Amino acid sequence: MSRIPVTILTGFLGAGKTTLLNRILGENHGLRIAVIENEFGEVGIDHELVINAEEELFEMNNGCICCTVRGDLIRILGNLMKRRDKFDHILIETTGLADPGPVVQTFCVDEELREQTVVNGVVTVVDAHHFSRHVGETHEAEEQVAFADVILLNKCDLATPEELAVTEQRIRSINALAVIHRTTRAEIEIKKVLEVGGFNLDRATELNPHFLDAQGHHHHHHSDISSVGIEAEGECDGKKLNDWISKLVRDQGQDIFRMKGVFAVKGQADRVVFQGVHMLIDAASGGPWAGRPRKNSLVFIGRKLDREALTSGFRACLA
Amino acid sequence: MKSPGSITAGDCISHLKWNPEGTRLLITPVTGALLVVDETATLLEELPGHGMGNGSSDWFQGSPATCGFDGKIHCGSREWKPGRGMIEHVRTNADGSLLAAAQGKVLHIFDGAASEEKSLRELPAVVADFAWNPKSSYEIATVGAGGALLWRLGEKEPFARFDWGGASLQVRWSNDGRWLATADQTASVHVYDIPRDHPLNMEGFECKVRALGFSADGKRLATAGSPVVTVWPCASKTGPEGANPIQVDGSGSEVRALEFSPVTGQLATGDGEGTLLVVTFEKGQFRRKRARLGSGISALAWHPSKPLLAVGHESGSVMWLSLEG
Repeated sequence: MSRIPVTILTGFLGAGKTTLLNRILGENHGLRIAVIENEFGEVGIDHELVINAEEELFEMNNGCICCTVRGDLIRILGNLMKRRDKFDHILIETTGLADPGPVVQTFCVDEELREQTVVNGVVTVVDAHHFSRHVGETHEAEEQVAFADVILLNKCDLATPEELAVTEQRIRSINALAVIHRTTRAEIEIKKVLEVGGFNLDRATELNPHFLDAQGHHHHHHSDISSVGIEAEGECDGKKLNDWISKLVRDQGQDIFRMKGVFAVKGQADRVVFQGVHMLIDAASGGPWAGRPRKNSLVFIGRKLDREALTSGFRACLA
Repeated sequence: MKSPGSITAGDCISHLKWNPEGTRLLITPVTGALLVVDETATLLEELPGHGMGNGSSDWFQGSPATCGFDGKIHCGSREWKPGRGMIEHVRTNADGSLLAAAQGKVLHIFDGAASEEKSLRELPAVVADFAWNPKSSYEIATVGAGGALLWRLGEKEPFARFDWGGASLQVRWSNDGRWLATADQTASVHVYDIPRDHPLNMEGFECKVRALGFSADGKRLATAGSPVVTVWPCASKTGPEGANPIQVDGSGSEVRALEFSPVTGQLATGDGEGTLLVVTFEKGQFRRKRARLGSGISALAWHPSKPLLAVGHESGSVMWLSLEG
């Protein structure tokens, strides 16, 4: 059974999420898209494919932020999966003040959702003119950027070229992985939003060949949220790698928003891929190397990341 | 087992509910039109669905009450839209005078005149599920993030609360009024002995508990998710605490629906492969009848006064099984 792709749409209040959603619902793309909307704004979307639900956060385990998930999504999606006529795609619009972590974690934690759906991407809409102010006011705006696979730098018509450059640089300092599209009135090819293909390290390095190079990293950000990329030749010791990642997420998981690594592990012919959200880590075969150089690439996006400690910790895992 | 009839709805059956007299059955599919049928499976009425998804339904003052993802409640010829959010359940209280529906952090309580005077608003958490006290028409339990709250209508604060750091997805209140049981997002069940103000936590289930229910006398609690159904004894002074539950095997896959007969005390369970078990309990032992039906079983409802069982399937069909003799 093929898994239904899910896109998570985030963005600060007024950034243009609803405009994008209306565009997606109104366009003739031939896809049946179910929309779960948590934003109870003044301008709601009345559409036959939209479900309105109040955000319901709960902790799987006592007090652990990493095990906080969304109960409303579990129940709604459970119901949608029982339908005879399945949807091609599911889109979840979070509230402007939502932390995207619990939404992503829900798909890692719930067994049924993990089997039946796949998070295709986190799309964050950013108000090009007001982003700097939003970042100063709340931590959610930064976290929404940190979690993103795709960022729509929207309302570009309202910002000066200088403002755009500063905002884009600031976004890039928080999340070096995400693809950024500059838009006005959320005008964008829908496939650039829906066909994201997940948290993709290959795409990030294609986008910025120096991404995994410490020297290529931006150091001029004002935030404590940043990206750290590590690249190393050679093979990893599987046990050391596993122990290191386990300890890392146990000790610092609350500050690690997202993590992805592609590893060459001694004794394993295929690529080994680790993906994580906070303390939730999933390891899987990433398929054959297929002519690509057999090396290790790893990226963290999070708060208070210590590049040197992460790099030395990883290097100690090399066989 | 004989099958006196069957009927088919347009989608997977999510809920079945007999009216108190046992003359009509309300069939709720996941989407599309709801059906009202009689004991012989003859279609009496088709009711409009609720857009992207139907919630569970009930009978209220002689009429079918339905709800869904469109945020609406239909009751007979009336339609209420109390807010924008989805409504997953409507449930009638023990004496049939009130209908409850949860919508976000509001628990709407309607009387026959559609007045909402008794509604509970600005609750501390989104209500995932709720259950009326079968012994008191003015008491209702809500569950969501962090445990269960027990409310007496007209009072601003809950009269009892059971806090814990996880989340409950379903709640049931035993007919004798003593027990409240929740199925949780983790593979666990919480049971509260209300008179003793004593919480119990049962863990070790293979997976999330998807179905739970008390026997009509409140002496047994059945819980299921995996192919094994666990039946907890609740009759003694300490209930399930320290007791050995009965483990009913024989299902081919995960059990998705279960219900005790109010007439015979038998437990019916249905799994995702279409295996129906009818379990009879005798002095701590059990025996079971097993039938393999056409498609996965998604809902069950015993007739209120006859040994007649309605079985809802993922395929949309509903069949009647007579267990007389």
